[in-house]
Amino acid sequence: MMDKSIKELHELLINNKVSSDDLVKEALAKSHTLQEKCNAFVTILDDAKGVSVNDNLLSGIPYGIKDNYSTKGILTTGSSNTLKDYVPFFTATAVKNLEKCGAVPVNKTALDEFGMGGTGTTCHTGNVLNPWNQKRMCGGSSSGSACAVSAGVYPYALGSDTGDSIRKPAAYCGIVGYKPTYGMISRYGLFPFASSLDHCGVLTRRVEDAAIVVDAMKGKDKKDLTSFDSSNIHLLDSLDGNVSGKKLFYIKEIVDFANYPNIDDTLKKHLDNYFKTLDNLKSLGVTIDSVSIDKTLLQAIPSVYVCLSCAEATSNMSNLTGIIFGPRGKGDNVMEIIKDHRTKGFSTLIKRRFVIGSYILQKENQEKYFVNAQRVRRLIVDKMKELFKEYDGLILPVGTGPAPYIDGSVDHVNNSDTSILEEHLQIGNFGGFPSITIPNGFVDNLPVGINITGNCYDDANILNIAYALEGTMNYKGQIAKEGTNE
Amino acid sequence: MRKFTKEMVDSYADKLLIGLTEEENKLVLDEFDIIDKNMELITKIPNISEVPPMTHTLDDFTYELREDEYEESINIDDALANSDSTEGRQIKVPNVVEVSKK
Amino acid sequence: MSNYKAVIGLEMHCELKSNSKVFSPAKNGYSEIPNFNISEIDMAFPGILPSVNKESVRSAIMASLVLNCKVPEYMYFDRKNYYYPDLPKGYQITQMHDPVGTNGKILIDMDGYTKEVLIHDIHLEEDSASLDHYIDASLIDYNRAGVPLLELVTEPCFNNAEEAVAFLEYMRLVYKYLGISDADTKMGQIRCDVNVSIMDYDAKELGTKVEIKNVNSFQNVKDAINYEIKRQSELKDEGRYSEVEQETRRFDEETLTTVRMRNKVDAIDYKYFVEPNIPKYKITNEWIEEIKKSIPMLPRERKQKYINEYGLSEYDTNIIIKNKEYADYFEECLNLGMDAKTSANYLIVNIIAYLNKFNMELKDFFLKPKYLKEIIDELIKGNISSKQAKEIFNKALDENKEPKEFISKENSQISDVNELNNIIDTILNNNQSQIELYKNGRSNIFDYFVGQVMKETRGKANPTIVKEILNDKLKN
Repeated sequence: MMDKSIKELHELLINNKVSSDDLVKEALAKSHTLQEKCNAFVTILDDAKGVSVNDNLLSGIPYGIKDNYSTKGILTTGSSNTLKDYVPFFTATAVKNLEKCGAVPVNKTALDEFGMGGTGTTCHTGNVLNPWNQKRMCGGSSSGSACAVSAGVYPYALGSDTGDSIRKPAAYCGIVGYKPTYGMISRYGLFPFASSLDHCGVLTRRVEDAAIVVDAMKGKDKKDLTSFDSSNIHLLDSLDGNVSGKKLFYIKEIVDFANYPNIDDTLKKHLDNYFKTLDNLKSLGVTIDSVSIDKTLLQAIPSVYVCLSCAEATSNMSNLTGIIFGPRGKGDNVMEIIKDHRTKGFSTLIKRRFVIGSYILQKENQEKYFVNAQRVRRLIVDKMKELFKEYDGLILPVGTGPAPYIDGSVDHVNNSDTSILEEHLQIGNFGGFPSITIPNGFVDNLPVGINITGNCYDDANILNIAYALEGTMNYKGQIAKEGTNE
Repeated sequence: MRKFTKEMVDSYADKLLIGLTEEENKLVLDEFDIIDKNMELITKIPNISEVPPMTHTLDDFTYELREDEYEESINIDDALANSDSTEGRQIKVPNVVEVSKK
Repeated sequence: MSNYKAVIGLEMHCELKSNSKVFSPAKNGYSEIPNFNISEIDMAFPGILPSVNKESVRSAIMASLVLNCKVPEYMYFDRKNYYYPDLPKGYQITQMHDPVGTNGKILIDMDGYTKEVLIHDIHLEEDSASLDHYIDASLIDYNRAGVPLLELVTEPCFNNAEEAVAFLEYMRLVYKYLGISDADTKMGQIRCDVNVSIMDYDAKELGTKVEIKNVNSFQNVKDAINYEIKRQSELKDEGRYSEVEQETRRFDEETLTTVRMRNKVDAIDYKYFVEPNIPKYKITNEWIEEIKKSIPMLPRERKQKYINEYGLSEYDTNIIIKNKEYADYFEECLNLGMDAKTSANYLIVNIIAYLNKFNMELKDFFLKPKYLKEIIDELIKGNISSKQAKEIFNKALDENKEPKEFISKENSQISDVNELNNIIDTILNNNQSQIELYKNGRSNIFDYFVGQVMKETRGKANPTIVKEILNDKLKN
């Protein structure tokens, strides 16, 4: 059942072909199976029950919540030892909005600690494995959500995206990952990583499902001043598949073969595959132009991201002291107690990012690194906005190929010539742009993704282009298949 | 000569009340030069100092301030439930005055 | 008296009045019960976000305008990052880059001269939690966490403790006049940091600045400044000025001295950066104009007006402006057309005395200006005597009734000249022999006639008029 789309499940439910309880039981059973295999969850909500079904498309249908969304009465850890026993007393607005629709959460999914990673290997519950091939990673930080949706536990799971945390794992797991315009979904109750880059979003197996879920999650929230009224945006209703006359662009400095003189076989296949897919769009009447952007600016993207995200993170996570919540540290005085809690609670990777953030925010470095990063951010965003005046969106391949191996995965600041290709999705976070990844077939028998990013508030248009493109390929609704083990 | 030392790394961590093991320190130190080199890319953008820093994601954003109405206080049991050390209605820490006198 | 010129700057933190806190919807109100007015935001549970209270912003803009500061086009906030158990988020939301007011000035009256105080900036921020200290532990109370706080930073422009305290007293009064704070020092609503340096009178450069943190009463501000001037001067006298360090000290109330907390090397790097969760808020000119219109006349302006236009004494004026309620009462009397001096006199001699006696506030006082007018009008017309006025005043208060109920025809004073003429004529006609005696030099007989008139009128005759008429009639 759980391989079906939201609309299909809704039809079955309202026609009493299946009950909400049946779906919940199936999702829970699949959760346990997947947990054995891929370790995707922090918590499986075995007490979850079906609900009475109404007209709302989401009512009665199970889903997963990334474990950095605050859920009242349910353990919420951020996949960190600092919050390993934390049970919130309030629920994130986005989750509340789904609750109102009658959606049924069945598990809390694992993530890179507080979203600060892209591998799914820094969760306090252990590595999350890719359901297509368990030697591979899911990517991160929405690792468990991507894993579970891809494995067919339910039609959708919530994610959050600060650099590419929804859109990269979606690609690695062969599913859809969508983060709408910054502020369309309230962040109240989402554990912050870097507030000016954090977005809520969703992982699904169909563009249509992403539209349905975000339609339900979004809305102005008085508790989040950065949220806006999007009642004039109807994502699902905007999907008509008519994209003739739309204009997209790609960035030459990122995808041209000429940039990669020592290209390896995988990357070559990945780029070939990408360009082949562009032809599908062209056949629908979409124009796709090659655009050139100053390489110095592009090369700065990963560093700008590291600067801003690490700096904001050090401040955002200063509330993790073990005083009000979290295990109390040991020590003779309160500062020692806090230090003990943080020293023991954070993983090595996150500590490293904190040290970078601390260094960048030092009074003597702040102007040079942090403020200059904010300036480059503006240059990049202004450049994109200028292009969005002429184009509906930017279309690029996700990453440099399929999911890397877990062994030997080091999440470090990339210094190779493929770093822009690897990190360009961060542009979407810099500008708060709507951005969606959809499956784009296979390279080396593993799924890869393609991404479309557009201007702020133009979500409906971007989703419709992704919807049309999805329709030209056979990956819509695909469930992870094994047998690709190497 | 290296730009960064073990002591510097420890001091950055300590300012965030985080302790590093020898291994963690080494890991960070080994990476710091490359991180720093990457950071330098930012400062190489021409005329960068003339660009206004982008401090907010949507900087053409308009919104209303919150009206001055208060809501019920949260439940005291909820407020204290996740703390490992409380007394009565309050969270307890070792005497702080002693700390500041040190 | 010191041989050196002292240079003093102040940071004045004042809690603002509002229904809810500045970044959370929890109630902004004092409670003896710990953690009685709190939200998840005040305790920094994971996932919380700030939402800015419009009323607090309004109050801050108002204070900024009064201090003649520049108000920025956009309101936004910064994070000040540091770790302390009274700061649950690990940062305080404050304003550093673009405070709500910069570069202002305000005049204050000193004994015999006017002092211009230069304002560096004024900014809106949140208060921290409070800590209750016990021998073995400290307990955290989040009631205060998130209470709106206005921090005013002056330039180092004061030269002695008296000026500094006069400024603090005046600002406290201004905040109360604006209605943006109760400014109650006893409740810890005002807290100050003081910086002090000394220099030779002919020196061009400022001396080494020493900061004294968290001084909680104006008396302590005065004592701390005087102690610090003395301490630094003595070291300078002894040629040990290099021992005055740029450092942070605290005031010890028991010894009335200042004690070192930390020196400059240990100064905390607060790593300020712009709070990304609060978008820039456009402060429109319309809003500023609207706020300007709601600013009442301030105590110093009122003082000048009372003295120059209404002819009150400085002494009386100072009593009236000390409390905005008094000043408003007084002005309402004037609006009702009452005489300034009589109103001021009645306010000071009778009303304020009454309030003090019963420890009451003027807002709870029954005799509003329109009622007072009923008494004073009759007094001025001569219909009642001062003594009667006082009696009516007390009766009205005792019974919470309008004074006019006690100013009936029967007990009102007889000032009608015709009526008195008739009464006096009758009395004189009946006392021809006494008139003879009076005219023969028995001048005390005059009082006898007055007494007869009073007897006839049961004491209600206006004695002044009676005397005038009698004088007139007996002359002939």
